[in-house]
Amino acid sequence: MAAVTLSRAFPRLLARLLPVGLALARMAAQAVGIVVIVFLLARLIPGDAVDVKGLEGDLTAAQQSELRHQLGLDRPVAEQMAAWSWRALHGNFGDSIRFGRPVSGMLATAVPETLLFTGLSFAFGLLLAAGVAVGAVTTGNPVLRGLVNFFNVWSVALPTFCVGVVGILVFSIWLNWLPVFGSLVLPVIIIGIDSAGLIVKPLYEELAEAATSAHVRTARAKGLPGWRVTLRHLLPTAVPVTLALSGLVLTSLVAGTITMEVLFGLPGIGSLMLNAIHGRDYPVIQATIVVVAVALVAMNAATDLLHRLIDPRMSS
Amino acid sequence: MNVQVSLNTPAKKAPPAPAPLLSLRNLVIAKAGRRLVDGVSLEIAAGRTLAVIGESGSGKSLTALALLGLLPEGLDIDEATRIAVDGRELGPRDERGWRALRGRRIAMVFQDPMACLNPFMRVGDQIDEALRRAGIASRTERRQRTAERLAEVELPAPETLARRYPHELSGGQQQRVMIAMALAGAPDLLIADEPTSALDASVQAEIVALLARLQARRGLALLIITHDLSVAGALAHEVAVMQRGRVVEAGPAAEVLVRPRDPYTARLVGARRRLDEVAPHRPDAGGVIVEAEGLCVDYAARRLFGAPHRAVHEAALSLVPGRTVGLLGESGSGKSTLAAALAGLRPLSAGRVRLLGHEVVPGGRPLPRTLRRQCQMVFQNPYGALNPRLTIGWALAEPLALMGVPAREREARIALALKEVGLEHEHAARFPHQLSGGQRQRACIARALLCEPRVLICDEVISALDMSVKVQILDLLRRLQQERGFAMLFVGHDIEAVRWIADEVLVMNRGRIVERCAADALDEAHVRDPYTQRLLASRLLPRAA
Repeated sequence: MAAVTLSRAFPRLLARLLPVGLALARMAAQAVGIVVIVFLLARLIPGDAVDVKGLEGDLTAAQQSELRHQLGLDRPVAEQMAAWSWRALHGNFGDSIRFGRPVSGMLATAVPETLLFTGLSFAFGLLLAAGVAVGAVTTGNPVLRGLVNFFNVWSVALPTFCVGVVGILVFSIWLNWLPVFGSLVLPVIIIGIDSAGLIVKPLYEELAEAATSAHVRTARAKGLPGWRVTLRHLLPTAVPVTLALSGLVLTSLVAGTITMEVLFGLPGIGSLMLNAIHGRDYPVIQATIVVVAVALVAMNAATDLLHRLIDPRMSS
Repeated sequence: MNVQVSLNTPAKKAPPAPAPLLSLRNLVIAKAGRRLVDGVSLEIAAGRTLAVIGESGSGKSLTALALLGLLPEGLDIDEATRIAVDGRELGPRDERGWRALRGRRIAMVFQDPMACLNPFMRVGDQIDEALRRAGIASRTERRQRTAERLAEVELPAPETLARRYPHELSGGQQQRVMIAMALAGAPDLLIADEPTSALDASVQAEIVALLARLQARRGLALLIITHDLSVAGALAHEVAVMQRGRVVEAGPAAEVLVRPRDPYTARLVGARRRLDEVAPHRPDAGGVIVEAEGLCVDYAARRLFGAPHRAVHEAALSLVPGRTVGLLGESGSGKSTLAAALAGLRPLSAGRVRLLGHEVVPGGRPLPRTLRRQCQMVFQNPYGALNPRLTIGWALAEPLALMGVPAREREARIALALKEVGLEHEHAARFPHQLSGGQRQRACIARALLCEPRVLICDEVISALDMSVKVQILDLLRRLQQERGFAMLFVGHDIEAVRWIADEVLVMNRGRIVERCAADALDEAHVRDPYTQRLLASRLLPRAA
């Protein structure tokens, strides 16, 4: 009996898991594609790490070619990529060419810093956007409605690095409230507002439309109190849009955090990556890009899966 | 306030009180100075059914929303409006006062149940919410009552059904859930705004019968808002007919729907009656110009490795000049797909179509342009079928340009075509949004006529139109066919309309043609197929007085 139900349940389970599996496979392919492109792009830039070292440390031509051979930089690109990929799959990203330290150790200090920074900024941005949009729709308050447009225009019109420079000038130099380097407060607020501006407008439009929708009207006709109508009937309608926008915002956070980390001297992935690019430090460039690419792909996968979980219409 | 409400609730068992359950006097709703509802007065007594009949734009739905304090923002309600429930007056914007009544004394069922149910909540939870609102604190009792309500609206396996999401139910089941939810708070008045309009004919009849049974069993007062005279006739004791925001006639249903006094009501009633007259059988003219055999159409699988969905199974039909074949079916029966395949707009998966001498087979040559022109299609939604940025004149000039008619001749031809479909020359300068629905459909027919078609395929062309306009369009199509002698395929779901215009009727169910008979033989005595018999039996009969 149990065997019969199992054999019947199995295809159904498979049918449910298959789309998830396909999505994961697609995402793995995306990550691999990004890594390959970056590997090739890094080698398109004229000059290599040995050139940089040579300029800094007066290496002779013989020493340089010896070093190149040692590092494997004189072998064909395809061979370099294959060797690197094989090691990367085992968690070994090699040593930094410039500093001689293991790249994995450098990542271990940079990744938590960046995670904290992006996590805080994203949470702040999402809460700000959701609060303003929900408030504007449910109360119809003109000030809140104005804020929706204000944040939207702000994020479109003002690049984060400009706001960052002005922020340092005002809060660190003139008012002397915050240190110039190392404080998370200002970058989190700047990136948070920038992300909120991307989310708040579409979210507001979606909620405003949902507020006049038939099922919200039905909920009111049932005599439910206003807070319950908002919480159970209005807000769930906006979840798919919020998820889709969050995916978008998280992607744009990658660019945003790099500039902020450099500007505010935060020792995260962004600073690491930029320094590595300046120094042609291939192993570090590759490792940081892999981390970012995998993170991006994982975030997209997560929003997709969450959407499937939350919206019952998606899973049948 | 709540105490008073609950004291009044057992009034159902008592003989009907002299004070009406709900009275509305002089309702005036305006938007930007324009009166949408203009001085409507209604009274609903306990246990009685009132139907408010009106076509689109008559203000009937706004009136219903006002009776629950649910009018959308941005509408002005006149000071002189008086709404009273049990003789107690309530301001139209008195949100607290209305909320106390909603769900408990007055409940509402809307059109389009799919949109009205929350897609993220199981239907049981949505009913549970209404029960909690009605003051039932115990969870087990709510669960039991949810099942009871679902059983009361005659849904099978209530416990299983309660765990489903709205999208997992059919349209009829969704509407039953809506009704169950409305009944959760044991209301005295149920307002149903077009409760059956989004549903298929057979489902519509079931819902109407259910409402009638519920009303009799519970002694509910019922307010039905509808455009459909047969729904009103089947349910109502009293009717009120609305036109342009005013009540033009009110009285007992048996009186108003049989001997209307107001000219507008008379036109509505007359339009329905016209369709009951079945035209005499016309002799066969011969000379088949469209012939389909074994026609199958598949839709691509929605999933990887899934089997394709066969929308039309081995359909066979033939069209003859000067005669009309009616294709009758409910939504999803494959009738529109079949029509599109006949017109060469959708590739066949099997079978063949011989259209004006050209053979269409799967993977074969597409229809040559000159032939495509001679086979014209008119669609359900005339607004979607006209480019909103082109005037009617421009839209009509397009087919002429394709045919190579010189520019100087076009205007005269367009004027003639407009005249033929009952439009004026001035309409050529208008944009689609400046026309009414009926006028837009006339423009679409004019556009099809300009190509001088030998075959005209009409896909649900009257479905989006009001009753009185429907009959005008049917008249127009029949007259044009008599004048021009084209062969016509008329696709529809309205039994009366299809029977009225067609010579031969084909009935489709789940992609198959299940019945073919002469139009005048489309009645319960003649048809063989059980599905067709069910369809015919689902027509609504007037309520016994």
